[in-house]
Amino acid sequence: MRYLIRNGSIIDPTQRVATVGDVLVTDGKVERLFEIADRAAEQHMVGDDVEIIDARGAVVAPGFTDLHAYLRQPGEEHKETIASGTLAAAHGGFTTVCAMPTVYPTHDTAATVRLVQELARREGHVHVDVVGALTVGREGRALADLAELAEAGCIAFSDGDRALSDSALMRHALTYAAALGLPVMSLGQEARLSAGWAMHEGAVSTRLGLPGFPAAAEEALIARDIALAELTGAHLHICQVSTAGGVSLIRAARARGVRVTADVSPHHLTLTDRWVLGSLAAHDPPPPPQSRPGRKRSPHPELGLPSWFDATRLPPYDPSTRVCPPLRTEEDLEALAEGLRDGTIDAIATGHSPQSRVEKECEYGLAAPGISGLETALALVLSLVHRGEMDLVDLVARLTEGPAQVLDRSPATLRPGARADIVIFDPDATWTVDATRFVSRGQNTPLHGQRLKGQVLLTMAGGRIVFRRDRAGTPEAAPAP
Amino acid sequence: MSEQKQIMTADEIRRALVRIAHEIDERNGGLADVVLVGIRRRGAPLAERIAAAIADFEGLRVPVGYLDITLYRDDLKLRGPVPLVRKTDIQTDITGKVVVLVDDVLYTGRTVRAALDALTDLGRPDRIQLAVLVDRGHRELPIRADFVGKNVPTARAERIEVHLREAGDEADEVVIVRPR
Amino acid sequence: MAPSSTEHPRRRHAIDLDDFSSTEIEEILTTAESMKEVLSREIKQVPALRGRTIVNMFYEDSTRTRISFELAARALSANIVNFSARGSSVEKGESLVDTVRTLQALGADIVVIRHSQAGAPYLVARHFRGSVINAGDGRHAHPTQALLDLFTIRERLGQIHGVHVLILGDIIHSRVARSNLWGLTRMGARVTLCGPATLLGPPAYWTATWPEVRVSYHLDEVLSSADVVMALRLQKERQQAGLLPSLREYTRLYGLNPERLARLGERVLIMHPGPMNEGVEISPEAATAPNAVIEEQVTNGVAVRMALLYRLAG
Repeated sequence: MRYLIRNGSIIDPTQRVATVGDVLVTDGKVERLFEIADRAAEQHMVGDDVEIIDARGAVVAPGFTDLHAYLRQPGEEHKETIASGTLAAAHGGFTTVCAMPTVYPTHDTAATVRLVQELARREGHVHVDVVGALTVGREGRALADLAELAEAGCIAFSDGDRALSDSALMRHALTYAAALGLPVMSLGQEARLSAGWAMHEGAVSTRLGLPGFPAAAEEALIARDIALAELTGAHLHICQVSTAGGVSLIRAARARGVRVTADVSPHHLTLTDRWVLGSLAAHDPPPPPQSRPGRKRSPHPELGLPSWFDATRLPPYDPSTRVCPPLRTEEDLEALAEGLRDGTIDAIATGHSPQSRVEKECEYGLAAPGISGLETALALVLSLVHRGEMDLVDLVARLTEGPAQVLDRSPATLRPGARADIVIFDPDATWTVDATRFVSRGQNTPLHGQRLKGQVLLTMAGGRIVFRRDRAGTPEAAPAP
Repeated sequence: MSEQKQIMTADEIRRALVRIAHEIDERNGGLADVVLVGIRRRGAPLAERIAAAIADFEGLRVPVGYLDITLYRDDLKLRGPVPLVRKTDIQTDITGKVVVLVDDVLYTGRTVRAALDALTDLGRPDRIQLAVLVDRGHRELPIRADFVGKNVPTARAERIEVHLREAGDEADEVVIVRPR
Repeated sequence: MAPSSTEHPRRRHAIDLDDFSSTEIEEILTTAESMKEVLSREIKQVPALRGRTIVNMFYEDSTRTRISFELAARALSANIVNFSARGSSVEKGESLVDTVRTLQALGADIVVIRHSQAGAPYLVARHFRGSVINAGDGRHAHPTQALLDLFTIRERLGQIHGVHVLILGDIIHSRVARSNLWGLTRMGARVTLCGPATLLGPPAYWTATWPEVRVSYHLDEVLSSADVVMALRLQKERQQAGLLPSLREYTRLYGLNPERLARLGERVLIMHPGPMNEGVEISPEAATAPNAVIEEQVTNGVAVRMALLYRLAG
């Protein structure tokens, strides 16, 4: 099968290409890019036996890689399956998803890893890589058989949504993983400092009387892990950095040569703790910035929060806003955007955490954390571009090249010969989020009903079209995998 | 649009209240056991005025109390504004007394019904009588006034307004308001 | 009878005082005075809410608040049903939303909810067609307690505007403090929060929402200018959680003891939302002083809750 993607704005960070032209895909691989000047050669080469995909006015880019998503299978298929999760990924423009080990049983033996790989091969819509468990049962007591997991094909180790409290064990984990050449993914959450947390600790949590997760709880763990990475020489990857302090720690560590990489999620880049106020925020002005010593005040108080997002559409204490780490403040958003721009943060990862209604339709503090993020990720992060905070090519790089570098593999690219993982998106198309129409089983999003700007039109994984939106804006039925 | 017509002047109001004061005296063979209870809001100043009239011709100060019947009304709706509850203030024990309820306008009788309930909760008077400045008809309950300042035939669409200085109005008068 | 001249739009829920205007608070307090008169009668009952059904939904034990609402409902002739988490379907794992739907189907008009989780009343309000009154949710809010405190201050001092209220003790865990912050600041009172730093948190956490509020860690510096001292209950678990060195030290620094009582003078009101830990945050001498209005607060609570129930359902 051959496809010719015509007249798109081709963005390929690996080639530093941003041009209007065509992409020829043959037998699952990129055969060639044609700039407008190459049209003569193109007609000669393409011939008639080809499906033309019109990408006029849209961006054509390498498919996105999501460094961590919770696909929930095996064990919690009522929340998500590999089939539904990878279809959601396809709708979001992701062609590779790293499956986190928060499943039952977890990825702590080669057998469960192979099970997931097999499910992904049979039922997945996009490529799935498996993140192995760091400790047995993700219980933080004994290391899992990391070498066995590496042999089975795991691309990193992590205890998923649990941080490893035991510092000595974390040291050993890093040392051992380094010898295997794989990164350890860590979530910045010091357990005691964040015990009983419901949301970010600050003025909003104080007003709402909700127990807080202070920024220091994240920073303390990131600082510890950086010290251990420095000690062991291992590759540490910080998942979902959410605080300005976390960004500073990572930036400083990289500057002195520590092998630390990081990702940030779309919601941490764009939403603040004021979303927990929901409609209560309608009546009062945004609070003055919390004075944390050594922080400088932003000249753009609304940075990262586009005016067309409206938190007051939500009721107060809406559990859809509960996520781990919690939504932070404007200052944090600003630091995260800066970190993403300057490369301190390598990648945008969704942290896609589908939850069922039972886990979310309850008291705020009892609700399971998580946002179903794959299908809104691109539009959320494009808001940074629309506000002039970030360059579109850099943004695409953080979704493609950045995650590939974290995984120490050759990035998704549109170079001839590369696997045809391609996304076509319209950066200017506006649409209204309707969570009830998500293909993910998780409808948990605080964005339901919001207007977003930027929409995926087509996703191709390994040369196969796994998602295509018709021009009227509604997605076509998913093709059989 | 509506049109407004005066049906009682300040002087007519004054004379009507003096007459009612005399009638209360005659009907009860004296004023020893009489307690005047004004229904809030405009019955309250009327009760005061009747008491003052009694003081003028009898040299006797009859006790005056005020009754707020909001909590006894049967026409509260689940929608729309809630009326403000005012204080009931009756210092005298009404048990065994003759209570003369005083209100400005007698219409459907529902306010008086509520007032009777409220009084019953406060004590057990020997008799309860009713004095009103205006009786406009259209009763919905078997209730009648013992003392009436003026009978005014009205249509349901019309409204009677009693203006009293004590209630913050500019002048004493009774007007009938007709929709046009 | 002419229609009442003062009318206000109907409020559906009372979850916190943040959406109450000073006029509305003023009106509720005035209504509560009338209710207090009703409670002083021999027959302490009026028919205002006859036929209405109120459910006391208590997920957390609180005998005094529950009884106060019960008396208030009965004084207005409403039917009131008690639902406590213990011994109900909650123990079988029924969710709050399911329970609310059931109460809805059974015909409840007003739900009074007490819950350990902040924000739970908002969840109830979203799934219930009637009115919701918050009787205390986590650390978030306790609006009827704040209203009865406002009522007591107004009754004793004649006004709330300009009065300096010192809220003392375990502020950070206190829903009473938060609701009083809304109510007092809206009514023009000056508020100082005072307690150990571990039970207060950074001042900016408070001033972001209530810019006028003062925060102090030193009781003896702020005590002399207070017109009202509102001591909060100190739960002994706070010391076990490492928030306090010892109860002895707390009592020495923040307890309302006879020496401080003497410095306050006789016109300063001493308040406490109860239940008290006598000998910890308040000494027996202070609790029974002539200017202590702690029992009056309890009495006023019934009248204020009547006024609120009437306003929501009357």
